[in-house]
Amino acid sequence: MTEAVSRNRQSYWRRILGDTLVRWGARLGLVWVALLALVAVFAPFLASSIPLLVSQQGEISSPVLNYLTPLDVVLLCLFFTLLILWFLPMGLGKKLLILLGIGLLCGLAAMKWIEPPRLIIYEQYRVAESAGAYDWVLKAPIPWSPTDYLRDFGDTGLERPLDDEQRAHWFGTEQNGADVLSRMIHASRIALGIGFVATGIAMLLGVIIGGLMGYFSGVVDMIGMRLVEIFEAVPTLFLLLTFVAFFGRSLYIMMVIIGITSWPGYARYVRAEFLRLRKQDFVQAAVASGLPLGSILFRHMLPNGMGPVLVAASFGVASAILAEATLSFLGLGLVGDPSWGEMLNQAVQSSSFNWWMAAFPGGAIFMTVFAYNLIGEALRDAIDPYLGRAS
Amino acid sequence: MLLTVKDLRTYLRTGQRLVKAVDGISFKLDRGKTFCLVGESGSGKSITALSIIDLLPSSISEHPSGEIVLQSTQGGLQNLMALDEAAMEDIRGARISMIFQEPMTSLNPVFTIGEQILESLHLHYPDLSDEEAWQRALQVLRDVQLSDPETRIHAYPHQLSGGQRQRVMIAMAMACEPDLLIADEPTTALDVTVQKEILRLMKDLQERTGMGILFITHDFGVVSQIADQVGVMKQGRLVEVGDVQQIIRRPEHPYTQSLIAALPENLSKPSVVSYQEHSATVANDNEPLIRLEQLQIHFPIRKGLLRRQVDSVRAVDGIDLEIPQGQILAVVGESGSGKTTLGRGILRLVEPTGGRVLFNETDITGLSPSKLRHYRRNMQVIFQDPLSSLNPRMSIESIMTEPMKVHGIGNSREERIERASDLLRQVQLAEDSLWRYPHEFSGGQRQRICIARALCLEPSFIVCDEITSALDVSVQAEILQMLLELRDQRNLTLLFITHNIGVVEYISDETAVMYQGRIIEHGRTSQIINEPNSPYTQELISAVPRIPRLD
Amino acid sequence: MATYLLRRLLLMIPTLLGITLVVFVVMAASPGGISAQSLVEGQNLDPEAKKEIEAYYNKLYGLNDPPYMQYLRWLNNASPIGFVFDEENQIAGFSFTKGSDLGRSFRYGRPVLDLLGERVPITILLNVLSIPLVYILALLVGVRAATERGRSFDVSSGVIMLALWSVPTMLAGVLMIGFFANDQYWHWFPTAGLSDRQALDMPFMPHWANLGDIGLLFLSIAVFLSLYLYLARLSDLRLRAGLFALTGLGLGLAMVDGLSEQSQGLMLWILLPAVFALCSGWFATTEYDLMRVLGFALAGLVVGVLVAIYVMQGVWLRGYLVDRIWHLVLPVLCLSYGGFAGLAKLTRTSVLENLMADYARTARAKGLSDHVVLWRHVFRNSLLPLITVAASLLPSLLAGSVIVESIFSIEGMGKLAVEAVQTRDRELVLSITLIGGVLTLIGYLIADILYAIADPRVSYD
Repeated sequence: MTEAVSRNRQSYWRRILGDTLVRWGARLGLVWVALLALVAVFAPFLASSIPLLVSQQGEISSPVLNYLTPLDVVLLCLFFTLLILWFLPMGLGKKLLILLGIGLLCGLAAMKWIEPPRLIIYEQYRVAESAGAYDWVLKAPIPWSPTDYLRDFGDTGLERPLDDEQRAHWFGTEQNGADVLSRMIHASRIALGIGFVATGIAMLLGVIIGGLMGYFSGVVDMIGMRLVEIFEAVPTLFLLLTFVAFFGRSLYIMMVIIGITSWPGYARYVRAEFLRLRKQDFVQAAVASGLPLGSILFRHMLPNGMGPVLVAASFGVASAILAEATLSFLGLGLVGDPSWGEMLNQAVQSSSFNWWMAAFPGGAIFMTVFAYNLIGEALRDAIDPYLGRAS
Repeated sequence: MLLTVKDLRTYLRTGQRLVKAVDGISFKLDRGKTFCLVGESGSGKSITALSIIDLLPSSISEHPSGEIVLQSTQGGLQNLMALDEAAMEDIRGARISMIFQEPMTSLNPVFTIGEQILESLHLHYPDLSDEEAWQRALQVLRDVQLSDPETRIHAYPHQLSGGQRQRVMIAMAMACEPDLLIADEPTTALDVTVQKEILRLMKDLQERTGMGILFITHDFGVVSQIADQVGVMKQGRLVEVGDVQQIIRRPEHPYTQSLIAALPENLSKPSVVSYQEHSATVANDNEPLIRLEQLQIHFPIRKGLLRRQVDSVRAVDGIDLEIPQGQILAVVGESGSGKTTLGRGILRLVEPTGGRVLFNETDITGLSPSKLRHYRRNMQVIFQDPLSSLNPRMSIESIMTEPMKVHGIGNSREERIERASDLLRQVQLAEDSLWRYPHEFSGGQRQRICIARALCLEPSFIVCDEITSALDVSVQAEILQMLLELRDQRNLTLLFITHNIGVVEYISDETAVMYQGRIIEHGRTSQIINEPNSPYTQELISAVPRIPRLD
Repeated sequence: MATYLLRRLLLMIPTLLGITLVVFVVMAASPGGISAQSLVEGQNLDPEAKKEIEAYYNKLYGLNDPPYMQYLRWLNNASPIGFVFDEENQIAGFSFTKGSDLGRSFRYGRPVLDLLGERVPITILLNVLSIPLVYILALLVGVRAATERGRSFDVSSGVIMLALWSVPTMLAGVLMIGFFANDQYWHWFPTAGLSDRQALDMPFMPHWANLGDIGLLFLSIAVFLSLYLYLARLSDLRLRAGLFALTGLGLGLAMVDGLSEQSQGLMLWILLPAVFALCSGWFATTEYDLMRVLGFALAGLVVGVLVAIYVMQGVWLRGYLVDRIWHLVLPVLCLSYGGFAGLAKLTRTSVLENLMADYARTARAKGLSDHVVLWRHVFRNSLLPLITVAASLLPSLLAGSVIVESIFSIEGMGKLAVEAVQTRDRELVLSITLIGGVLTLIGYLIADILYAIADPRVSYD
């Protein structure tokens, strides 16, 4: 090797990020995920039967604000915090902590003070509007709420997209009359939420257990491997079914359970990486320098071993979303709040095949899963230069 | 003339960049003679070999110019560069054979060695009957002096040792009686005694068959043993070609001269600078700094239903050793001798299973991790592989300041950074290296950083585990000279593990020879090298290929 | 090797215990637990009758006992070695040949073993059909993608594989049923189940009314097959693509024609045939000879059969075999596409790694052609990670079966599992968990053994 020093002065993660973003797959995937995130955060403003701004006799008011739930507020809060933090020069760890802190604060405050009215009568706004009570009205781009069953229009039921001349339903309506697009927009929260939270739980469990197994070996490793085998051998879907069937349906339980059933995959990766890293000279050098165990594990080994875990996480989010959709599809999903899988289930319920009910929510699931898979692939190619470049 | 290479150029295209790997070289190779292509890493010698038989993937390589004329026993004169793929396939393995550096991975693990040799035979001699082919395969295995060929022919590659695998590779290459054998560093990965046998084997085969050998290496000792003609390559060009005696004794080109001068046997020792400048600890002048009493490191082998321990690998099997302060002790041995395990055991990176390790007469063998930490400051290590010795995620600054912080050296971050830059200067690296990441440095530079890292805790004892084995000879020379200077300045004690006798001779005061976990011989370096007592040491020393002294 | 096998089998036991324990704990810990109440809920009975039925269930299934007793009792029943009870439910002795008694299902009232005996073979049938399909197709695509690395086949197949992998099974199934098994659109495939009622009475092989029709069928197949094979070999790219596109066009037109009146629209008349024509034209241009020939042959076969059926005067009877196959096409397709996509990517990665390996370089240095190096040396080494993956293929297929069986109304183990869970059928849930776990672990074991056979470096002792 020549003795020249190269000019690129970047940390490892910046390089990986750069390499990933160069690939068109990652870009497409990130664009879709970003879009989805935006939609999820701003859902109450994007799709709602309640007008955004109303002017009544000169007074301007925003009725939609009255109906925001604590979750809506927390999400908005987090979003804007994230935006501000993005541009501040601070360490990643600090940023995450601030985000977490603000999220918690916000959540507590919101739960205490924000109480949207229980009973929502959507028709009143449309009635008022047609009665001319408003000077002007600024409505949401999709002026239907997910649980607005259009009672004032009579018994509407299923409709194809853009069937009716009076009301524009871009993706059609479902059996009860609610607008499909609106339901899909609100369901994006569940999809993203489950994806992140479940994967986060699984990663946390997997990294801790896998790291311990990989570093300590011996008895710890044996016990850990038995645990891993048990959780892997359980037919995941079946365990999920059992849990949900017996414990009832709740979003949080589902998140936790999907997380608990997927941790073995991450544990295996981390274990393999730690076993490999333990023999690496720089780890030995760190031990020889008398560095404390915590530093060796978290500063030296973990950052080097996270590569495959992150790739797996990206694919993991995709499969978590699929798992939730599957459960909902089998009729064991959530009640009340719509989710994409449940909408697919609705498509099968009726005797006639309503393609728009299957294609659009199913398409959304597909696009999201595809996006995460693209990101995961690009990340993997960036991290493993052996296969990423020619010779 | 068997092979005539004229103005060969090979350009490699990776993405946007074009690398002129071979930039216009010409040489000739005669029947029955050996031509050695020498050079440091990146000089293009391997690419030259691959270009001759066109083994480079066409998607990344191109040959803008060049003529390679082969005069084979069957087929007369041919310009290899003008042949199509089918004709080249006929030549590969039959007229020109090639063997590679890594015997471990160069054989297909799922086929027996017999199957792999037979494949070559059936390909180039389709009329050969099965029985004839089988006999021929056995014959070549006998020719390469593989023991017990009738049984071994059914063995899988992983069941053979490194030396045996290389013999099989040679057998496979010889099966079709080639005119030219290209050998790309075939003995670099082998132990020195095995290397001696393989080199002699190749010479024998050459005498018997009259084939030409193109031998690629970076080791001038090997060159002096087997070459008739030598070509020195640097960055894709042949800087000097000539007779072996002339190149080694009276090199004309400055680059060749610098290479010869960088060999450990030709290096001069630096003059002793002040002895006590950064004097590290603490030894009682009469006691050795490090003492080992019957040190044992055994690894269990478990078999059976209940994973019972049936036997153990005795990596270190009862070693007594004393290293006084300020001394450089070299530990030599072949692979499997246990020298690396010894080094790690002294530092307790691997736990001893018996015996004691005493640092300054304190028994550190049984200390708890927290108590041991105090001693760790005094005992450091430098490793062989520059690639994996530095944490790719951390900047040089954090790599060096973290240990200082843990041991309380330096009162503030600025002070630690100051000390770190000071150390980098001492190992002749630029100060702004602190803010860079390991991947931005070359192998030699990374080893310097590792030395600086080892020094930042101001230890009195450093284990150097084959630290120059992966470096080019010129870089190795610099590192060795630097190490001697540092030892003189700081009164360091070094345990220098290596398999390179030239380096041992240059750098060490005393030498210990290890074999199968035991020390066979121990004494002053000059005595061990020149008048070894034990037969194993004698064999080891005589196997090392050296440029013969003229006196 | 024998000790290794024995060790693995013995290690299976604690794992199985663990799995069943976990599932049991979930059931017992849930609100309502496992009790007779949940069984009697929803039935319109007066309290007295309810109590009686509850008491009956309690006695029959031992639901009165505390949870750990229930688990232990079930464990004892399920294991072939254990305690034997007499009529009074007292311990009568210990036996080594008791045999496994998996109990009775709450819901069906039948012995679980019988139920499983009916359902499990069906699920196994689906999976056994899928596995070879998945592997063969994956090898076909993956190896080619690796050798054509970076070029059009690799890039396009890479995207297609990833997209396929991302399509949720339910969506695919629902769309397949909705479009292809539905009166509203194309009713090409049956709607549900594994066979029609009439098929059970049919003879095994298909029958035709007269001999001439059989002759016609074979003739038609022969003619069109050779025609398309000839087409596949045409070197003129444009001609080949054009003619195959015509086939696509014809298919598109036929499809739109087959739609019900209301679904047809001008847009559809233009769009569908155009899309099909484009796709078939694009397929015909691929340089991957093997795939192209196979694709064309398949097309020729299908066209031949369809033409024959159309022209035939007499009536023909489907026969049991053909009926079965007809019912299996959609479910197997639905089950396999995901596995195929994933495995194809894995194959590509594995082959790429091996193509760059040292031993491949040695093989080329011996004078072997790239073709031989690929198929004799690289291929065998590339298979090794695929065998390891096969281990995890089985559990994922079992999971996939759940969805596919539900969508296509196939009475297999997966569907049974869903029902069992929905009705809180303790015996059934535990037994299915057990069987699922056993199948998975055996799958791992087989994969390990196959790996040991394929890779001489691995020795288990």
